[in-house]
Amino acid sequence: MQALSVKGLCLDFGGLRALWDVSFDIHIGERVAIIGPNGAGKTTLFNVLNGQLKATAGRVSLFGQDITRLTTYERVHLGMSRSFQLTTLFLNLTVLDNTLLAFQGILPSRFQLLKPLSSYRSLYHKARELLGSMALWEKRNEPVTTISYGEQRKLEIALALASRPKLLLLDEPNCGLTASENTEMIAQLRKLGTEITVILVAHDMDLVFGFAEKIIVFHYGKIISQGTCDEIRRDERVKEVYMRSQETSG
Amino acid sequence: MNPETTSWDRPPGRLRYVAWVPVALFFLFVPLFLPVYLQGILTKALIFAVFATSLNLLAGYTGLFSLGHAAFFGLAAYTSSILVVHYGLKSFWLVAPAGVFMAVLFACMFGFIALRVSGTNFFLVTLALGELLYSVAIKWKSMTGGTNGLVNTSAPNLGLSWLPVDPPFFYYLVLGVSAMSLLCLYFVTRSPLGVALQGIRESEPRMRALGYNTWLFKYLAFIIASAFAGVAGVLFAYHSRVLVPMHLGVTTSTLVMLMVIIGSDRVFLGPAVGAMVIILLEHPSSLYTPERWPLILGSIFVIAVMFLRGGISSFLEKTWEKAFYASAKR
Repeated sequence: MQALSVKGLCLDFGGLRALWDVSFDIHIGERVAIIGPNGAGKTTLFNVLNGQLKATAGRVSLFGQDITRLTTYERVHLGMSRSFQLTTLFLNLTVLDNTLLAFQGILPSRFQLLKPLSSYRSLYHKARELLGSMALWEKRNEPVTTISYGEQRKLEIALALASRPKLLLLDEPNCGLTASENTEMIAQLRKLGTEITVILVAHDMDLVFGFAEKIIVFHYGKIISQGTCDEIRRDERVKEVYMRSQETSG
Repeated sequence: MNPETTSWDRPPGRLRYVAWVPVALFFLFVPLFLPVYLQGILTKALIFAVFATSLNLLAGYTGLFSLGHAAFFGLAAYTSSILVVHYGLKSFWLVAPAGVFMAVLFACMFGFIALRVSGTNFFLVTLALGELLYSVAIKWKSMTGGTNGLVNTSAPNLGLSWLPVDPPFFYYLVLGVSAMSLLCLYFVTRSPLGVALQGIRESEPRMRALGYNTWLFKYLAFIIASAFAGVAGVLFAYHSRVLVPMHLGVTTSTLVMLMVIIGSDRVFLGPAVGAMVIILLEHPSSLYTPERWPLILGSIFVIAVMFLRGGISSFLEKTWEKAFYASAKR
């Protein structure tokens, strides 16, 4: 059984086709990186995978179950979780409340009306463990607006981990981090157990080649190559795409 | 008392709450020594405190600005008065729940329509739905009395013969019901559901990505808020003794929205403070310069928005915390 299986996925924005017949399989426990020049459709693919956008054609299955027509929150309950490229945290809530909300998302008690959220001891302990592992526990009572950007990125990952995902989608987890924060982030991601399958989108090649076992290369909404790190390094088409995008941007 | 944070590891500062003691004493005992007229004003202020706080569950906590909230307030008020006037039901225990039930029933229907859209469109759809009920109240003369209003002079009948029915009794009934309602709403804002609503206000896509069916949460918030608007409406029907279509329409919806904004939408009791300020100022100003009341109301609004960022209560809270911590350090 595959963790994620994508077949013939297409997405049109009006007349513009953003994803062209995308197909790939990801094994359970695998670490996969999706790379490609800006505008290649990487984040769009994530938005289709987690249900924010509805695919025009094609199928997505998660652990053998067809999820093509499910909503975002239903997919979360089946074990898919994602982080966002642009930080989308609850800025006026504290770090702790952000984390508690994330834990609560998959629990039936999220509909509870009369007991304060702060009285759920077991969630509190889980939050302490998670935030502690991210070195965020000391900041727990501060509103997210007041913590640093690097800390917000870490919290972004923490929230995605809180819903106990079996498949984790990370959209540029290290975007905009300083060199030392970046090293810490890569170490953090390496610590994730193999019960979690990870797909990440990244521009940073240190992260891609240091973390991924398999790489999928996108260009103009199409997969132009997929394979192991070595195969991708040697791939002529990939080199060409990256050289060309560097020429145009430089 | 900041609703934005759960109070896990907050330093033990119970003393901060001493400010509530004079407030409680005031509401419990002072009205006994006030003339009936002033008691009435305080009663009305308490009713609007519940009404405004219920709107704030939507506006401040969930980020849904409704301009039709008076629909549920007026609907509950009309329902209970119609039952008394046209159907001869006297018992408060029948009439009051019936009013609230109607508010909830219509909230279930209206919420379903209004929550198909968000932002400005939500604002407009709620406005339209409120105006719909307003027109019905004008046209359905046999039931509502049209623009002449519906007169119901009976006092709430609790079925307890030993209870007096003079104005202090009604004041304490309203005080009791308002206190209970505010307490319930306070619990809601601190519950997992309440914090989830704040999460939706901050970032709805993220809430979906965490497994929350955000539509359902907004729908529940809409119904809960309308139920408490209904509670306020039933009390208002007894207080006001005459209901006119305006009580369902945009005039009342805007007034209660102003209470929320002036009082602060980020502090739990902010809307209640806003309601107090507006109702307590409305009466003297309508006695001495009735034609200038809109001007005065407008000025309060401008002052609150320009100089007391985030509303009066937010300002009061900050000042109090500052004063408290300054004195604690000494």
